[in-house]
Amino acid sequence: MDAYFYIILIVGLASTLLCVGAGVLKKAPNDVTILSVVAVEVALLVYLVGSIVRVIAGEPIAGEAWEFWGYMATALLLPPVAVYWSILERTRWSNFVLAAIGVTALVMAARMNQIWY
Amino acid sequence: MDNNATPATRPAVGAAGKSRDTRNTGPGRLLIAVYAVFAISATARAGYQILTKFEEAPLAYLLSAFAAVVYIIATVSLAKPGPTWFKISVAAVLVELVGVLVVGALSIFDSVQFPHETVWSLFGRGYAFIPLLLPILGLAWLYRRRPSK
Repeated sequence: MDAYFYIILIVGLASTLLCVGAGVLKKAPNDVTILSVVAVEVALLVYLVGSIVRVIAGEPIAGEAWEFWGYMATALLLPPVAVYWSILERTRWSNFVLAAIGVTALVMAARMNQIWY
Repeated sequence: MDNNATPATRPAVGAAGKSRDTRNTGPGRLLIAVYAVFAISATARAGYQILTKFEEAPLAYLLSAFAAVVYIIATVSLAKPGPTWFKISVAAVLVELVGVLVVGALSIFDSVQFPHETVWSLFGRGYAFIPLLLPILGLAWLYRRRPSK
């Protein structure tokens, strides 16, 4: 596991805890929960840029390259979709939808790490 | 305003009927979101397995593809309103429950025939047992939102 994974681990867990907390407190999605999901997206973008740089620098991906990039593309899509979905219905349940993004991103980052090394 | 109904009853009946006919609100949204993630991951995984190493374990990978289709149907039907989509939801979630139980049991008792991983292997252990939990929550939600009466 590399630094990118640990960044996503920390940001993802923090986002999930924040969103679950807000959902338990019966709050609708607000700036804090939505921005925490944005932070997950930023962490994934850092991983994306870092990975592109490493590939250009000549570092090989041990597993299937297209599987790695498939995971990356899907992971990058999830936060915007979840935020959009949560804005359509602003209830506490949408915070639980947002909460799912952090853990999903961290599971996918773990899988991406496995493919890379 | 409709003259045939008193203002108090008409909107109430309409609101109740409408809320019973949709399942994409409140907790249902979380359920649909989780189903959508499983639909995407199961489809990608099954597609990958079938394209790259199908001959290794055709039965397991066909099961993977079947699970992916079930998750897609469940996601779409839960998101759609109306009694027809409700029935499709119930069918998809029941198939999912049977699938995870049968494949889970087979993968334990007959690990020769089912050595390769699918979403439903070992009751979904590779996915934190969410595949086992999901149909139970799904049926509970569908029961609460059943269109009858």
